[in-house]
Amino acid sequence: MAEELIKVTIDGQEFEVEKGRPLIDVINEKGFGVPSFCYYADLELQASCRMCLVRIEKMPKLQASCVIRCTDGMEVTTKSEEIEKAQRAMGEFLLANHPLDCPVCDRGGECELQEVIFDWGDVEERFDEPKNAHPEKFLSPIVANDQQRCILCKRCTRVCHEWMGEDAIEAGNRGSNTVIGTYGGWLNCSQCGNCIEVCPTGTLLDGVYRHETRPWELDQTITTCTYCSDGCQLSVGSRADEVHRIVARDRYVNGINGEFLCIKGRFAHGFVNHGDRIKTPLIRYKKGGKLIPSTWDDAIAFAAERIKESKKAGVVATSRLTNETVHTLKRFADECRDGTSYAVSDTYDLAPFFENLSAPLCTHKEIRFAETIVVIGGDVDEEQPLTAKQIRQAVRNGGANLILVNDTPSRLSHQASQFIHVNPGTVEAFVLALADPSAADMAAAKMGIGRAEIDKARETANATKGDLIIMFGKELGAEAQAVAANLPSRHENRNVKLHPLAGYCNSVGASDMMPGRKPVADVVAGSDALLIAGSLSDEEFAAADLASKPFVAVQELFLTDTAAAADVVFPAASFAESDGTYTNNDGFVQRVRRAIDPVHQAKPDWMITSLLASELGADFGYSFSASAVFRSIAESHEAYEGLRYPDLKDETRPVRVKHKLVSGADVSGAVASLRDRVSQFPDAADKITEEPRVGHKLHRVTTMTGKTPQFHLLANGNPKPDDLLVSPLFQFNPDGSPKKEEESEVAAG
Amino acid sequence: MEIKAIGCEPLQLKRMHIENGHTLDVYRQTGGYESLKKAMNMTSDQIIDEVKASALRGRGGAGFPTGMKWSFVPRDSPKPKYIVCNADESEPGTFKDRYLLERDPHALIEGMLIGAFALGVETCYIYYRGEYKYLIEIMDRAIEEARQANLVGKNILGSDFNCEFYTHTGAGAYICGEETALLSSLEGFRGHPRMKPPFPAVEGLYACPTVVNNVETLTSVPQIIEMGGKEWQELGTEKSGGTKLWSVSGHVKKPGVYELPMGYHDMEKFILEDCGGMLRDDKKLKACIPGGSSVYAMRADQIIGKNVTLDYEGLVEAGSMVGSGGFIVIDETVDMVDSTKNLTEFYKHESCGWCTPCREGTDWLVKIFDRIWAGGGRPEDAQLILDLCDNIEGKSFCPLGDAAAWAIQGAVKRFPEDFKKHLLQNGNGAGTSGS
Ligand SMILES: Cc1cc2nc3c(=O)[nH]c(=O)nc-3n(C[C@H](O)[C@H](O)[C@H](O)COP(=O)(O)O)c2cc1C
Ligand code: SF4
Ligand code: SF4
Ligand code: SF4
Ligand code: FES
Repeated sequence: MAEELIKVTIDGQEFEVEKGRPLIDVINEKGFGVPSFCYYADLELQASCRMCLVRIEKMPKLQASCVIRCTDGMEVTTKSEEIEKAQRAMGEFLLANHPLDCPVCDRGGECELQEVIFDWGDVEERFDEPKNAHPEKFLSPIVANDQQRCILCKRCTRVCHEWMGEDAIEAGNRGSNTVIGTYGGWLNCSQCGNCIEVCPTGTLLDGVYRHETRPWELDQTITTCTYCSDGCQLSVGSRADEVHRIVARDRYVNGINGEFLCIKGRFAHGFVNHGDRIKTPLIRYKKGGKLIPSTWDDAIAFAAERIKESKKAGVVATSRLTNETVHTLKRFADECRDGTSYAVSDTYDLAPFFENLSAPLCTHKEIRFAETIVVIGGDVDEEQPLTAKQIRQAVRNGGANLILVNDTPSRLSHQASQFIHVNPGTVEAFVLALADPSAADMAAAKMGIGRAEIDKARETANATKGDLIIMFGKELGAEAQAVAANLPSRHENRNVKLHPLAGYCNSVGASDMMPGRKPVADVVAGSDALLIAGSLSDEEFAAADLASKPFVAVQELFLTDTAAAADVVFPAASFAESDGTYTNNDGFVQRVRRAIDPVHQAKPDWMITSLLASELGADFGYSFSASAVFRSIAESHEAYEGLRYPDLKDETRPVRVKHKLVSGADVSGAVASLRDRVSQFPDAADKITEEPRVGHKLHRVTTMTGKTPQFHLLANGNPKPDDLLVSPLFQFNPDGSPKKEEESEVAAG
Repeated sequence: MEIKAIGCEPLQLKRMHIENGHTLDVYRQTGGYESLKKAMNMTSDQIIDEVKASALRGRGGAGFPTGMKWSFVPRDSPKPKYIVCNADESEPGTFKDRYLLERDPHALIEGMLIGAFALGVETCYIYYRGEYKYLIEIMDRAIEEARQANLVGKNILGSDFNCEFYTHTGAGAYICGEETALLSSLEGFRGHPRMKPPFPAVEGLYACPTVVNNVETLTSVPQIIEMGGKEWQELGTEKSGGTKLWSVSGHVKKPGVYELPMGYHDMEKFILEDCGGMLRDDKKLKACIPGGSSVYAMRADQIIGKNVTLDYEGLVEAGSMVGSGGFIVIDETVDMVDSTKNLTEFYKHESCGWCTPCREGTDWLVKIFDRIWAGGGRPEDAQLILDLCDNIEGKSFCPLGDAAAWAIQGAVKRFPEDFKKHLLQNGNGAGTSGS
């Protein structure tokens, strides 16, 4: 966007700036500084706090600089007696009914209101009338609320509307009785906590962290989220080897996501210091015996011995592991014993996609400014929340076309310019229709839609001059993925970009790290000694019959079904205890940083694997440093060539790995077999009309999320308690049933 | 309750005393819808030029020249365009629109049709304050009558001009009289004002070009088309054309709705003679708020013997404003601290809560007035009140904050004696008089 440059004078100094930029941004960038509360870049303008008042020549009164766009010759004064009086007056007004209870406020030390007032230093309190008082209460198990501290900047309602598309909170009442509230007194939303994050004051509060520490006591470690493939940057707040909270960092510098996080990234960190973490290595000396605590030396020696004895070894990685770990597992397979097979457990395998990749992956920023977005399958709101937010803003704030192809309606489908509602399980047919126009009629029939729908989508795509982004979800099998990856090379628009809706935080990285992998089932079936880092999925586990295997070693945080079936269990360090990298669905390789020391006797996964390897006689040349592992990655994977940790230091400038592009690949075979498969889809089916409830996946209780008790209440219907002033955790059992009176009194007391 | 014209033929009040003046038949018998026919033989520019020539200024309070407002509408825009009649009439002391809506609904429909024809509008909304719900039936019936007579709907009077009418009611908020808040409310959102620019004429209802006009502004339009803009203007002064309705209330013998030519001379005569003089003969005039609660109150000595003319320029010169023409006469029994406390409560109650200074400022001011009224006044309170008003004025998001500040500033500055009395008696028990 090459913009016209114009001249603006601020406090007597002249600057060249892009025409039309928000004056407030320019003032701040040039170092003059103007206080503001309601302004938030990329949210709709509000102009209600009246804090950012400045004087502009030729304008009759002071102007809110957040709503002023720079024009040529504009002369701005940011500091004068008149301006300071006005700004202080706003501060005084905001504090009039404010309880001034910073010493007991969780936001104390990080509060924007506090900061502005403290910057002045000598605010005299003239208001000595009785204050409007209200108690602190809960809006949900996760969102606590002290309405007295609210300055009604409405950042919260705007993010809820614009980012989340939820409209779960809105202002109620009027005038000085205005209060940010919910519909029906209880929040039944996705509980993303973004309203908490953007709240400049201590009004909306993290119900998981509530009253745990003062913010300044926390060490803040910038790292990458361990849940979905979007790879949000976040700050782990820890004190004395305990993780207390997670927030997004400063909105201006926090990587790809700004202040955005979803419920899992922000709140589901209870697993890190949970009492159920495996504390020591465990050995089952005899089949049928128990897992018995042991030392690291014994466990490594025992496992190495068994693997040596085996005929065929197999390695299973999972896609929540760091690149460092998956790479080490691959080397373990390659270098310890000949013929060791390996697999990655994931919701789906991206190999066919990357093998046929004909256009670059898009970045989240490109999604926000795309002209047309086609989402084929997936459940973006629940599974890649940052991507969903970017899509929503692209549509809402950027006017993008959104074509959504899915068998299930969702929150996002309400915003789609074209929602192509297909028969259950038929989204792949849409890929076929795009790739092979001659099959479009058949595909349309199988999808239960009119042919015109396909043509309309194609027209929109063809008319797109800006970025055209194609996303796809796990519904796409191998052929469909290959075909989808090849679509851009058939399209005249040069700005086609792809976005795989991958399952886990390191699905893309694990796929990069383990070329030549086999399906999990094949590896399990073909090996009599298995090393599994992480746990198999429920289906994989059910099919694997691990108990029948001569030897299974598992690296895990918790005694999951997989770990419980193992002969040796190694306690692994969580993402908060390890250094490493994840590669997200943009292809950005981002740092995972150790926030606390590994709990109990846990060790980072890659270290466990390499200890075992060296016991088996293989020396990887990196014993104690994740950065050395990364160097080994850079040396052995083309896409990561030349990268080092120092290159990944600044999360605001993430580094993209260089996935190889294949143009002009012949996918006719894949198209043909896709056509075959689609032709076998049933001809008629009932459409799914019910929209699943918000949070149906986000609130699911899993090994990790389940360690944060609030998730149990959310998954069990998020019951509204009788007493809003007391945490719902004291009023309900995890299954959502009310606690008996005596119990809850004991708990609360 | 007096409803009459003084110093001019009744134009706005033409049908106030005619039986069934609200029906189409009587409206037509008294010349109704002739202006529409005339306008439909004019070009858009000719109509707008007539309105410009009439020097008609918006009767909702801001006094913006109507012809100019209409000319801001981008007539070549491909978007639909709207005319919205502001029938929210909620400025304290103002009740003129109510009579027009009740007794002359067709005049409003005709005025809106002429505007719609000139501006290429096919949809008109009439937004009533919640409390005027009972008047809506009258309008709905009138719209239906007009539809039967092919004056509303498709192919009006056999032309290719289509125009639909809808009535809508607010839920009882003063702020919804402010044009942008009205539009938010009409769209189904909370009644919060919106940022200007963009002005409604360019981006109003549903982000489409929209003219928002007061009832009286729109009912003036048929008269202007009928007599010609210039002639209509000449009823008043050069810059304040035509005639205007004044809602007179307070301590006069004959409160009511008066139609006066703009430039009527003078204010003193109007109060002391035309309106029947002071309510109680032994009580003297103390103050008058001539333009609804949001304008500066005038002291008697700013009126008596001062030759104040009733028009936009005259009242500004005399230290106040025409505003909405809510003309409140106050006699010497009134304690201005009491009346200002009442107004402050109104503004606090009606502040929409969007912006800091108005929301917090009015709340604070009410608390101060409560304390003063409870006998806790302090000598420094007058200064504090003025300073808080200064911190609201010019800083608020919409003019409601300014209006609150003006109403209060006016009282404190012009009636210092009343305040002094309360502020010096610090701790001497409750307030003294009521009114
Ligand atoms: C707080 C506030 C309340 C208002 N209330 C009304 C009202 O009740 N009726 C009205 O016609 N205009 C009201 N206005 C003025 C409108 O904003 C707008 O200027 C007017 O409707 C334009 O019509 P006009 O040009 O015909 O006067 C109000 C303005 C403010 C700031
Ligand atoms: S938690 Fe998220 S979805 Fe819920 S109210 Fe806050 S911003 Fe809205
Ligand atoms: S709750 Fe926080 S973000 Fe929301 S309006 Fe109040 S201060 Fe602003
Ligand atoms: S001045 Fe501010 S708070 Fe008052 S009504 Fe206008 S926008 Fe609302
Ligand atoms: S930041 Fe400009 S008014 Fe709030």
